[in-house]
Amino acid sequence: MDIATMIFNGISTSSILLLTALGLAITFGLMRVINMAHGEFIMIGAYTTYLVQEVFSKNLPESVFDLYYIISLFMSFIVAFFIGVVLERLVISRLYGREIDSLLATWGVSLVLQQAARSIFGAQPVNVKAPGFLQGSIGGTSSFSYVRLFIIIVMVICLTGIWVLMYRTDFGAKMRATMQNRSMAQCLGINTKIMDCITFGIGSGLAGIAGCSISLLFSIDSTLGTKYIVDTFMVVVLGGVGKLIGTFTGAGIIGLSNVTLETLTSASIAKFLVLILVIIFLQWKPQGLFAIKSRSLDE
Amino acid sequence: MSDRTIIQLDKISVSFDGFKALTDVDINVNENTIHFFIGPNGAGKTTLLDIICGKTKPTAGKVMYYPPSGSDIQLTGMKEYKIVGLGIGRKFQVPSVFTNLTVQDNMELSLKNGRKVLESVFSKARREELERIDEILDMIDLKDKKNILAKNLAHGQKQWLEIGMLLVQNPQVIMLDEPVAGMGKPETFKTGEILKKIKKDCTVIVVEHDMEFVKLYADMVTVMHEGKVLMEGDIDTILNDETVQKVYLGRGGERNA
Amino acid sequence: MSFIKKNSKNIVFTIIVILLALVPLFTDIGLLKSSSIVRYGRYITFAIVAIGLDMIWGYTGILSLGHGIYFCLGGYGMAMYLLMQKTGGKITDFMQRGGFTDLPWFWKPFLNLPLSLILIVIVPSLLAMIIGYFTFKNRVRGVYFSIISQALTWAMYTLFNGLQPYTNGTNGITGIDTIIGSYYDQTNIRILFYAALTALVLVYALSTFLLGTKFGKILIAIRDGENRTYFSGYCVSKFKTVVYVLSALFAAVAGAIYVNLNNSISTSEMTITFSVSMVIWVAVGGRGSLIGAVIGALLVSACEFSVSSAFPDIWQYIIGIFFTVVILFFRRGIVGFVSDIFEKVTVKKNKEGSVA
Repeated sequence: MDIATMIFNGISTSSILLLTALGLAITFGLMRVINMAHGEFIMIGAYTTYLVQEVFSKNLPESVFDLYYIISLFMSFIVAFFIGVVLERLVISRLYGREIDSLLATWGVSLVLQQAARSIFGAQPVNVKAPGFLQGSIGGTSSFSYVRLFIIIVMVICLTGIWVLMYRTDFGAKMRATMQNRSMAQCLGINTKIMDCITFGIGSGLAGIAGCSISLLFSIDSTLGTKYIVDTFMVVVLGGVGKLIGTFTGAGIIGLSNVTLETLTSASIAKFLVLILVIIFLQWKPQGLFAIKSRSLDE
Repeated sequence: MSDRTIIQLDKISVSFDGFKALTDVDINVNENTIHFFIGPNGAGKTTLLDIICGKTKPTAGKVMYYPPSGSDIQLTGMKEYKIVGLGIGRKFQVPSVFTNLTVQDNMELSLKNGRKVLESVFSKARREELERIDEILDMIDLKDKKNILAKNLAHGQKQWLEIGMLLVQNPQVIMLDEPVAGMGKPETFKTGEILKKIKKDCTVIVVEHDMEFVKLYADMVTVMHEGKVLMEGDIDTILNDETVQKVYLGRGGERNA
Repeated sequence: MSFIKKNSKNIVFTIIVILLALVPLFTDIGLLKSSSIVRYGRYITFAIVAIGLDMIWGYTGILSLGHGIYFCLGGYGMAMYLLMQKTGGKITDFMQRGGFTDLPWFWKPFLNLPLSLILIVIVPSLLAMIIGYFTFKNRVRGVYFSIISQALTWAMYTLFNGLQPYTNGTNGITGIDTIIGSYYDQTNIRILFYAALTALVLVYALSTFLLGTKFGKILIAIRDGENRTYFSGYCVSKFKTVVYVLSALFAAVAGAIYVNLNNSISTSEMTITFSVSMVIWVAVGGRGSLIGAVIGALLVSACEFSVSSAFPDIWQYIIGIFFTVVILFFRRGIVGFVSDIFEKVTVKKNKEGSVA
């Protein structure tokens, strides 16, 4: 493999990681909720894409088939957003300030969501077909596929979108205020319940978009989420919880080192090594790369 | 009261992410005194305690401990539990007792013996230790609450339990962060009397906002302002100083500022 | 009355042990199928793991999502010995497929029983000690520890699957006998069943003893306020490491017994899902009480078997929803729920008594 391909693969892997981790950076980083069902929201996004594709291929003329993917991108966000809102109202809202319990309760939710996927779609994996405009690759070689390029673009759009939303809008200021000090925000007249709900919805929706992107590369089954949950958590923790730039850097480091090590050894050994290296790094800097220093006694 | 220094802060500076919490702080604390750190919010009082007890590492400077017997010890760089082992105890601002253990268990855990893993499996409190616990519980009015869980105590009682937990260690130095916050007049007075009693055997460092309390019990006062020592001396000198009045006292008897 | 109240948990444990001891008898008179012995034997090993997990989570406040690793290290160690017994020390099919002509070096100690038994205990304990020592010393705590333990499980799972020629990957080690002879000999199975039960009693007794000492109170102190415990003069990280290693050891022993009663082990016991199942047992039974952990492990496993053999699709719904509800509303699990009811009843009775 030449260097250019390797770098491209690294960036591509990192983009997928970042997309899957962005939602978690919000729910974990901002809201301090350990959502173990985050992977299942990725799965929901992927299955939504599959459903939209089925609707298009069965009901609409082939000439408009390619449009299905654009619609799926939005639909996967919307569906995941609403399921996220329901989850927030039913479960998460009772668990603010109880991090470990939020981890456990959402694990229960993830079991239910996985089984629901099996009940609805069966145990066999399903596939989506990349739309025509994403088939092929730059220069016709297999290395720089349009699909992977497209995922990088989706990642950049999501990242910019979230950054603008959080730091450049009134809504984002309210959102951050709520997450930092709920009672103070209430005093300022912010409806914190709605804020919690929407913020969690956005985090879930982003996972949906990630699922929609991933569906172009891999087949979809009920265990899709479990494949990503560990990596996404490691990205967020490595970067430093609560910092967008940290998540960005974390994804870059894990993605690139995965690809690099894969060229030296097998895929599974590379994965093993990367995880171990991250764990060792966290021994040295438990707060991650971009730590927020706090003076409070944590009890 | 003695003139022998027991704790010495030597050119201590701390910064948090560029914010200078303390700059070049030199303080000597003398043995068997009640030494108060006062000053407006953010002056760096609590940080000083954090430095002495090993919770925060200073960016520069060192803390020396001159025990009544034995050789001098540098505290900076030591682990907090080792500092506690030397007989330097600390009470935090928010009462922190072990809520799911009984009052008696809380006291027994504070004993000096059985702090190693293996010792803890086989160690039992000795009779004289149990007597000492009873004595202290009597002093802090918790004797009849011995067997209830600490979480069921009132706020003021938790404060006293925590002081009791310090005393049972027979400490050389105890540091108290706002010990009378949230206490009524009689309790405040009682706490002061306890401090007076214990300073015979140890040295007491107190961070406090309640100026009435400071006036009554201080042997020595250090006024902190913006991370620096503004003034040091006995309470009368402090009260009559113009600069001090300007930055702190002048704000009209503000309590719990 | 006060004796019963004071020792209610130990009495319940004794009753459970007696009931379990009768399981082989029940199969004799046809109340249970003969396959129930190995099944309940496996549940007993789960209860052993649960006790260890409760020690670190319920009492000390460290949530490990990776105790499957220690269970599997114990299990694989035993399975490797049993496989070597069966092949007579020759290299196996999966090694041959992997291109080996000679036994890999780390398989060689498993030709020897005493050496195998030592490794079954030492390897998991050593790994736990290394992980515990560093993470606790560096004050990695709370959810961060949980996330790291989860990542570690995932890493080990990937490694064991990836090292196909050494471990037989996802298939694992299958078709082995027990440590005392054929898996299909009912007498052997019964002996092993009672061995497992004895192990459970020993582990329960040791844990109960430890929790009654000052050591046990320090664990609770750490859970209530870790920093405060440091400031009471305790080297918290050492205590945490010791209790973590102890729980890993319990899991390893459980895994080693489990293999005998299961006649195989694979990486499916190394998944995060299986490790979290262990946490589910403790949470459902009641964290912070050993009897809760035992009841949770036995009850959840037994229910899982009966429900999923009748309706394979609905078990995951049931356990998922039930677990979430327990976490949301019954933090002290079944045991907490039941003892709250008892307390209410007795308090009511006392009140009525005093009025009359």
